[in-house]
Amino acid sequence: MPGTKRQTLYRELRIEEYVVRDEPFYLPQGDEVQLFETAYYQKIPVLLKGPTGCGKTRFVEYMAYRLSRPLVVVKPAEKDGPPVGEEPAEEDTPSRRSIPLVTVACHEDLTASDLVGRYLIEGEGTRWIDGPLTRAVRSGAICYLDEIVEARKDTTVLIHPLTDHRRILPIEKRGILLEAHDGFLLVISYNPGYQSALKDLKHSTRQRFIAIEFTYPPKELEAKIIEHEAGVSPEVAWRLAKLGEKVRNLKEHGLQEGVSTRLLIYAGKLIARGIPPRRACQVAVVWALTDDAPVQRSIEEVVASIFE
Amino acid sequence: MDKTAPLPLNLILQELHRYPPTVREEYTRALEEIASTASPKHLEWWANHGLAIAQQTARSWEAAAEFFRTSPVVLPILSWEHFPLWAQGGYDLCQQSPALAVAYFRVGPACVPHLRPSRIPQWVGLGQRFYKGTWKSTALAVRFFEASPALLASLAFPDLERFVAFLERLTTRSYDLATECLALGEEVFPKMGEHREAFVALLSALSESASWREVKACFESAARALPRLEKGQRTRFLRLAEYLARSGYTSLSTFLVEASEALAQVDTSAHATLLSMAEALLAVSPEALPDFLKSAPAVLERITLAQMEMWFAEGVRLLRSHREAGLGYFRRETSRSAQVLEALSSAVELARVKDLMRLYCRALAGSQVEIASSQELVQKGIGWVDKEKPTTEGSTVYLPPVVNRYPSKEQNFAWYKVVATHQVAHLEFGSFAFSYQRPSALFKDLRPRLAPAQPPGEGAWLTDMHRFFALFPEKRLALDIFTVLEDGRLDARVQREYAGIRSAYQRVQQDSLAERPALEDLPAREALVELLVRLTLQRYRLPTPTPYLKEARALARLARLLARPEATVEDTAEATLRAYAIISRIPNQQLPQEQWQEQDLSQDQEEQEQQGDDLLQQVLQSVSPQQRREQQAQEQPYQSPKDVDYRGEFKPELVQLLAKLKQTGEQRQGQTSPAPITRELLEQLLRESADLEAEQGDISQAVGMFANNIMREAGIAQPPPVPAFGQGPLVHIDDEGGPLEATEPNTYLYDEWDFRAGDYKPRWCLVREKPMAEGDTAFWEQTLQTYASLVHQVRKQFELAVPEAFRKIKRLKDGEEFDLDAVLEAMVDKRAGLTPSEKIYWRRNKVERDVAVAFVLDMSASTAEAIEEGKQDAWDAPDDPVEYMLWLRSRRGEPSRRTYKRIIDLEKESLVILIQALQTLGDQYGIYGFSGYGRENVEFYAIKDITEPFSDALKRRIDKISPLHATRMGPAIRHATAKLEAVQAKTKVLFLLSDGRPQDRGYSREGVEKEYAVHDTHKALLEAKQKSIVPFCLTVDKNGHDYLKTMCADIGYEVLADIYSLPQRLPLLYRRLTV
Repeated sequence: MPGTKRQTLYRELRIEEYVVRDEPFYLPQGDEVQLFETAYYQKIPVLLKGPTGCGKTRFVEYMAYRLSRPLVVVKPAEKDGPPVGEEPAEEDTPSRRSIPLVTVACHEDLTASDLVGRYLIEGEGTRWIDGPLTRAVRSGAICYLDEIVEARKDTTVLIHPLTDHRRILPIEKRGILLEAHDGFLLVISYNPGYQSALKDLKHSTRQRFIAIEFTYPPKELEAKIIEHEAGVSPEVAWRLAKLGEKVRNLKEHGLQEGVSTRLLIYAGKLIARGIPPRRACQVAVVWALTDDAPVQRSIEEVVASIFE
Repeated sequence: MDKTAPLPLNLILQELHRYPPTVREEYTRALEEIASTASPKHLEWWANHGLAIAQQTARSWEAAAEFFRTSPVVLPILSWEHFPLWAQGGYDLCQQSPALAVAYFRVGPACVPHLRPSRIPQWVGLGQRFYKGTWKSTALAVRFFEASPALLASLAFPDLERFVAFLERLTTRSYDLATECLALGEEVFPKMGEHREAFVALLSALSESASWREVKACFESAARALPRLEKGQRTRFLRLAEYLARSGYTSLSTFLVEASEALAQVDTSAHATLLSMAEALLAVSPEALPDFLKSAPAVLERITLAQMEMWFAEGVRLLRSHREAGLGYFRRETSRSAQVLEALSSAVELARVKDLMRLYCRALAGSQVEIASSQELVQKGIGWVDKEKPTTEGSTVYLPPVVNRYPSKEQNFAWYKVVATHQVAHLEFGSFAFSYQRPSALFKDLRPRLAPAQPPGEGAWLTDMHRFFALFPEKRLALDIFTVLEDGRLDARVQREYAGIRSAYQRVQQDSLAERPALEDLPAREALVELLVRLTLQRYRLPTPTPYLKEARALARLARLLARPEATVEDTAEATLRAYAIISRIPNQQLPQEQWQEQDLSQDQEEQEQQGDDLLQQVLQSVSPQQRREQQAQEQPYQSPKDVDYRGEFKPELVQLLAKLKQTGEQRQGQTSPAPITRELLEQLLRESADLEAEQGDISQAVGMFANNIMREAGIAQPPPVPAFGQGPLVHIDDEGGPLEATEPNTYLYDEWDFRAGDYKPRWCLVREKPMAEGDTAFWEQTLQTYASLVHQVRKQFELAVPEAFRKIKRLKDGEEFDLDAVLEAMVDKRAGLTPSEKIYWRRNKVERDVAVAFVLDMSASTAEAIEEGKQDAWDAPDDPVEYMLWLRSRRGEPSRRTYKRIIDLEKESLVILIQALQTLGDQYGIYGFSGYGRENVEFYAIKDITEPFSDALKRRIDKISPLHATRMGPAIRHATAKLEAVQAKTKVLFLLSDGRPQDRGYSREGVEKEYAVHDTHKALLEAKQKSIVPFCLTVDKNGHDYLKTMCADIGYEVLADIYSLPQRLPLLYRRLTV
């Protein structure tokens, strides 16, 4: 409409410019914060192990914030979308001392060029565009490769020279070697539970990282997390945490994976907006966890015992 | 009789001189007796009649003598008017056979009173009907007269006539049988009361039917059956049997017994309704009747009589539309039957909710809790005795087998859940984790300050519970207090932690109150323990004995403390010490009614806990050994309170002991043996045990048994060796009979398809999964050598199959690299002013091979066939179990050093080659063998489980594959299907390798219809298919085409013409199936 002031409804950021401005809520389970900080300063790559939804990603976000650096999240699936910004300048130093964090959710079609970059056709020629990993290496970001074992084998080899003393990224297609920025750190996550033997992490890869193990938080801690994240009363949060504890007892006895804190938070969020607790747990926990009808019934009975 | 010239009396005697003196003697004696009452004319007739009898034939003088002898007795009964009827009857009989007449006259005095005089000739006629001139018929007729007194006394004359008619009909079949029946009748009829008529009718019906041989057995069964029935229904029952007999039912005597047994199990008031249903059923299908009545008690256990009508109506409907299905329905062999029953029933059976409960309890307890029926624990004989009560021994929660307390399923299930939750609470909230040393949360600990009692013998305390209960002089009281308090603590804790179950829990608590005895009726000490029970059930307004009000308040305070969430089992122990100090001082005397007063104990009205030393003194006093008070005169012996039903049995000491024993048992296997627990020590402990003392009156003999059983349970004593390979127990379970139960570990139940009924027989087959024994790797290596070239070839083929997985896909919008051709094209297009294609990338598409396969190998005896001879296969195996075993043994006894190759050898070799190839492919594969004998013994050998990695053990196991028993394919396929279901793979294949048709004992209908097995196998294969598993049958039976067409309809199969091609063919087929 003429005369109306144009308003942008979304923000477009360069991969390496995304910064977590607000402190993510994170309650340490142990000394993981200290370990990560030390690893960061000592430039030791970190492997985060743990079941799904136990807070690995949140931990990395929190650490990125703590280390006061911008955080970059990109999903390779967005490649078809509009190109994001220009090729970054070689010397791109943000005003604050910041560590961007590139989160890449790995999937089985993720190839090396998805990470490093590729040529695009433009006009009469081609133009090189950096992949998220390259950007992270340039800008000294924390690059977080989520579920690394899902990616193709060639990607894991790619990270080898980055994760030892060399800290370089060869970009064959352009014929260059990229030295990593001092602030660069590679973090990968890995869920040892449900990968088949085919998809195990190779030792040559995994022995380049220190490993921090994550488990579901203990009941009291989890209750606090649920209370904060879902905005429910301490009583409800405590019951949800109790449900979590009980359902996790069934892992390997009907369930492949215990219920994640994330799901419990979802259940809490539903309850907070007035969904009856039993129903909320049914959709957020029981049905989300399993399709096996007898197991569903058993868990529903546990829910029915805990919630009125 | 010579009517013309009656001799005068004086001449008669002379005439009689021609016969043996007995005749004269009897005549003279009788004459004297009757002379006074008879006219001369009558006397003369009488004497002449006797003479005439004597004159008839050579031996007829005996009849005459008998006539004279009994006349004085008969005369007064009949009078002269009717006496000739009787006399004439004998005369007529004598004409046929003097023996008949003798028997007739002899029973006269006993029979005549039961007969109307006009009936006498008819009676005679009945006797004559038997007489056919042969000695057998004579003997029967004589027997008839001999039996007449009893028969006449118990049967109305028309019934007697019917009975005779029945016997006569029997004589056409067998005189012996008729004679026996006559004797039975004589014995049975008097007992039968008013139902004789119906019974005689039944007999008649029987004798006319084909199963006339049954009659004798029927006498016996009927005599046993009738008293079991409600009086008014007996005749009806017999009528039912009669119709059944007429309809051609063959085993009537069994029916009488079984049906009446079944009826005896249900309430007599239900008999009339049941028989009405039975009569209705008769009109539809008499065959179903016996099964219907037999099923009745089991059905009525679960549903009411009114509901049963619905169950019955459904069965009748089925019968009308599909006879077999209806019959199976009433036998309760079909799933439909169980479903209808389940839908109608409000009872909840443990078997149905077991899996649910197991997961529920595991979730709550956080450990590997098992669920079992209380009966099983009792059978172990380790100290638990009640079959109905819920309980736990630390690792398994035992629940009653069925709950039918409430009118709805939901309520019954809620009860189960409450009970299970309470039992699991013992584990979840640490009842058995009691430690003597650990401080309590709410009390000033007294335990450390009490003088430690000496452990028995030189050893240490076996368990903390043992040590704790050893403190008390009256262990039983202490145990009662402890269990009540601990159960109360758990109840409170559960209700706090599990808000959702609270309302159901409170309802159950409320209901359990109804079964509590009235406090006022109990003697004081018991009343206080009972008061404690009520307090822990969260009742605080209670009748309280005024003399002990202070004590009651102190107890209430303890109960309230334990209801707090932070209370632990150690708090219960501290509370027990205090409560014991209070209660043990109170004499167990009846209190007068006026001393009872309703009190509110929910509030503390006075003091806090007594100060330390006072209390310690009190407790110390109560637990000092000298403190065992002398019983006062009016005092009653102390009785434990009645168990609160939903709480069941709680044996803390025994459970701790068991856990300890198991632990040491495991340690011993780990070579680090601390102080081993000897049997003597255990017995000693058990003798002292508070748990057992509470249950058993005379414990001394039981202790040894318990000790043994407990040691076994704990795995300390050597368990009996697990049946080794091929020696599985061949326990014979009848083919009849109902569903099985899988109680042992590694046993699985499967339904079986009855194609005639068109329904499953629920839980029909028991698969026992066993590990395969291990042999030598030599077989493996030798096979690889022999088939070296084939192995190489197959391997190569399989390797070739792998790279097919990577294909380059071109012309994509997005990909790894530019596709140069496409880029050029796009550029050209662009220059030419056309819109270039965006699809200029290529990528490698990774097609992952994701295959899981289960090879199911037929290890039936027939695979022992030599290949060369081409002998007949095992198809002619005898069906009779005993013969079959002999036959089998003879085959297995064949010289072990074979010079020929058996089918199974070739199967094994093929497997070796295939396994080699499979290792190249990286597919998940399992190899299983099956055999067995009978539906309860389907042996399933895991040669390699799907999830198991390849190892040398596999090589050794293959060596041990050898022919065993029969081939029940259905359950084996179902079990393999279950295995495949448990793994994740895109493609799942079930590969069945067999050498003949399925066959097993009872794997047919009525032992003849072998189609049954084929259809069940087909159904099992279809089930696999429905679960997206690809089934495939490969058979080496050349005659396989006929049945395979049915067995593998819609399913891939192949008949191998040349068995030697198996090693080549198998890998090839596999590759085709999985690509």
